[in-house]
Parts: sequence; structure tokens; C-alpha cells
Amino acid sequence: MPIGVGGSHGNPRPSGGEAGGTHAWLEGAETKEVAEQDCRPPHPKSLPFGGLRFFFGRSVRRSRRHLEFLQTPGFPVNHEESKEETRSGDNSTPRLFEPEIATAGMGDRIWLSFPVLLLAALPPELLPGAAGFTPSLDSDFTFTLPAGQKECFYQPMPLKASLEIEYQVLDGAGLDVDFHLASPEGKTLVFEQRKSDGVHTVETEVGDYMFCFDNTFSTISEKVIFFELILDNMGEQAQEQEDWKKYITGTDMLDMKLEDILESINSIKSRLSKSGHIQTLLRAFEARDRNIQESNFDRVNFWSMVNLVVMVVVSAIQVYMLKGLFEDKRKSRT
Amino acid sequence: MAGVGAGPLRAMWQQALLLLALCTAGSRGLYFHIGETEKRCFIEEIPDETMVIGNYRTQMWDKQKEVFLPSTPGLGMHVEVKDPDGKVVLSRQYGSEGRFTFTSHTPGDHQICLHSNSTRMALFAGGKLRVHLGIQVGEHTNNYPEIAAKDKLTELQLRARQLLDQVEQIQKEQDYQRYREERFRLTSESTNQRVLWWSIAQTVILILTGIWQMRHLKSFFEAKKLV
Repeated sequence: MPIGVGGSHGNPRPSGGEAGGTHAWLEGAETKEVAEQDCRPPHPKSLPFGGLRFFFGRSVRRSRRHLEFLQTPGFPVNHEESKEETRSGDNSTPRLFEPEIATAGMGDRIWLSFPVLLLAALPPELLPGAAGFTPSLDSDFTFTLPAGQKECFYQPMPLKASLEIEYQVLDGAGLDVDFHLASPEGKTLVFEQRKSDGVHTVETEVGDYMFCFDNTFSTISEKVIFFELILDNMGEQAQEQEDWKKYITGTDMLDMKLEDILESINSIKSRLSKSGHIQTLLRAFEARDRNIQESNFDRVNFWSMVNLVVMVVVSAIQVYMLKGLFEDKRKSRT
Repeated sequence: MAGVGAGPLRAMWQQALLLLALCTAGSRGLYFHIGETEKRCFIEEIPDETMVIGNYRTQMWDKQKEVFLPSTPGLGMHVEVKDPDGKVVLSRQYGSEGRFTFTSHTPGDHQICLHSNSTRMALFAGGKLRVHLGIQVGEHTNNYPEIAAKDKLTELQLRARQLLDQVEQIQKEQDYQRYREERFRLTSESTNQRVLWWSIAQTVILILTGIWQMRHLKSFFEAKKLV
């Protein structure tokens, strides 16, 4: 599943160099280890046999909530990445901020407005009130569904919100389960039989939506099912944003504080690009493992065929030779 | 969207809120029904050193009124958490409304099991209990208003702190992913090799058996003076 950090597709793998440059920036930054862990994961041993391309496969999508904010447009990750690669350890303020500082003749007021502008670049739904990221309400659960049972969950919803449910069968025999989604009135909205994964979005009315996973068709195998609920436009979130105002102290100070903000943002940016790189790497590893399985499958097929052929040939030869023995005997006698 | 100034609009908004509050009774989370001795387990696959907080709220089913009572004291739920090696990390009894916390020390599948311990449910409740459950993992466990108050942060600082926590959690998950991928690769490679060697061995055995059979039969017939 493509994730928002798409910029690193064509990049060479400069994990070591990148980490070195990153480390220089972060000397003053608070929090922890970015580059102290080995940036380069252990290089996989090459296989004795080549692998084929796996052109279909199951993708496991889990824990999307962590990656949601990467998809937020306006967050300066995508277009910043290519700039980073060419900078090679430059310690000065990143290029994004330079034009602003160049034109700042008036002093502090412009510098204050800039971070607000940055956050204002986010889509308006995410900015009720002043500035900020709206935590979208979602929950995910993984549970075991015993054989021959059905389990239901309910989710209360307000009017005109959006409910997205995604489920996957992670383990158990045929990796399939029946899925049923019903509206508060009891009307069946979705009914799927023996699917291994699915995604459904509904625009909601007020009430409790019920969704069920049914494993009654299987008598012996229990299934492990993962499902994720993503709720949007729940309405009450606006109040949560206002609540934070009660807890914060002071106003956003100017001059020195701006540099702290810049440092924090830099640190975030470098960590995110490191994340992006590692994800690309892991994607490659995962693809390679799939290829191993594919070649495994082919090899099982091939050698089984060879097995079968050899068996048949050997028994044919045996029968032939036995017949041959008896034939000779009769010829010699007559 | 909040009605500012307009009278009737404001009243309608308040009514809607009230209705919402009644409907959801303070919890807009997922819920499910559980029987008397039934145990419901959820699996959380988490990296190490990750905090997990679970909240639940129970409601008893009232047989006469055919509704769920808003909240019933005296109902207990037993929460048991097992780590990937099967060792019990948390095993405690909580009231009808509770909050449990644990921190993982090994990465892997942790199992969170809930079951009710009260037997009088069958008598009064018709054997059904509604459990509202919410589980937060990792940086979702942080209470940002509290952090803001403690460290005296401004809003921007608080947001930046939240972002940094989120990224740190992503990093942890990725490390865990790397560890899982390596194990998976080892398993795959060993399976691969085993399949290959077994197939070759099988073929060789088959051919040898065939040759031996022919030789044996030939000598048998020669011995019996049939050939």
C-alpha cells in the first residue's frame, strides 16, 4: 500500500551518509537516538538459486494510524527530501526557511507568523479553531475467533460521520471469514462470505452500527482476525481542541524560541526521511522473501513432477525387464 | 460550525449535544456483548518498551426493562495480560469500570483477556453484559494536557512534542519490523533448503530401489533355474 512518503523511490541508498549528515544537525536537539542505531540493516545473504517475480500477493496492512500524519498534505516531507540529499551536511537553516528570513526586515512579527503559516498550510478540516493536528478516532483490534462461532461488535455513531472498517484474516486454515455490517435499524449494509480481507466505508446515521465476523462454516480451525475502525467527522473533536487551550501556558515567544522550533522540525524531518528509507528497504526485503516463496513453490512443483516421471519410468522398465526374462527362457527352450 | 450568536441555532446545537450525550452515555467507543463465563481475548502486537492503556466500562442487561442499565456497581471484570512467551504480565480484578496499564518488555503478540467474574449476572442480568473497550498503544497513551501543564509548554511546543513522540513510536515499530523480517527470512530459507534436499533424496532413493529390485529379481529367477 503506497504511503505518503513517496519521494525516496529513485534515490540511491545513502543510509550511512545520510545518518552522518543527520547527526550533525541534531547535536543541539533534545530527544534521543536517531543515528546511533545502525542505519544499515544487516545485508541479506544471497541465495543459491534465483527468484522469480511474484506478481500477485497478499499485502498486510496494519497499524495505519501511525502513518496517517505522513499523508497530511502540506507537511513538508515530500518535496523536502530531494533537497536534503544534495545538502551534504550543511548545518545552517534549511532552505525552506531561508526566503522568509531574507525578507524579514521588520523583525519578530514575521518570524512568529511563519510557523503559524506552516501549520495553516494543512487542510482546513484539520484546523478547527487555531492550529493543530486532529487526532482521528480510530481503534484496531486483533482477536481469535474460535471455530464455529460468530462474534459481533458495535460502534455508536453520530449523524453524517464516516465510518471506515477494514478487516483482515491473519491466521487459520483458509484465511477466510464471513463479514456482516448492519445499520442501527438492522438493515444489512454489507454481507461478504469467505473473504480474507475487506474495506468498507459508510456515511452514518445516528445509532449503533453492528458488524460481525462469522466462522460457523469452519468446524475445526480458529481464525485470527484483525479489524480497524477509522472514524471521521465525529463532531466532538472540536471540543477536544479547545480543551488543550486550558492546559498550555504562556504565549508563543519570539526570537530564541523560533530556533527551537526550527530545530525540532528539522529533527522530525530527518527522522521521517530515515523512516522513509528504512521502509523502502523493508519493502525490498519483503519482496525478496516473497520471491523466495515463489521459487519454493516452483521447485516443489518441478521436483514432484520429476519424482512422478521417474517413478513411472522405473516401474515401466521393471515390468519390461521381467517380461524380457521370461521371453528369453521360452525362446531358448523351443 | 458551533452556533455563535444565533439563538435558535444555539439551542438546537445544545439539544443535539444532549441527545448525543444520552445516546452514547459518555463513551463513543466500540462495545460488544459478553456472556457470563465467556472470556474475550484481544491480541496486540507491539514492540518492546511500549506502554499500553486499556479502558473499559460495563453495563448490565436488565431483563425486565429490556435495556442496558447505565452503570452497575458490583460487577467485576478480571483482566489478564500475557506476553509473547506466555508469561502473565498483569492479572487483576477491576470494578465495573476500569483502566489497566502495562508496558511490554519483549516485542511480540501480547494477549489481553477479559472475563467477568460475577455469578449473579445470570440471575439478574439475563446473562448478558455490554463491555465498552478502548485500547491505546504507544504515543497514544501520553496525556498531552498533563505534559503541557508539567513542562509548561506553549501550544506549538506541545504539538512539536506530540509529533516527536509519534515519530519515535514509528521508529520503534520499524525496528521491530526489521527483527520480524529477519526471522521470517531465516524460516523461509530453511524451509526452502529442506524441500529441495528432501526431493533430491527421494528421487535418488527411488532410483536405487528400482535398481536393487531388478537385480534381486534377476538373481532370484536364476537361482530358481527359471531363466
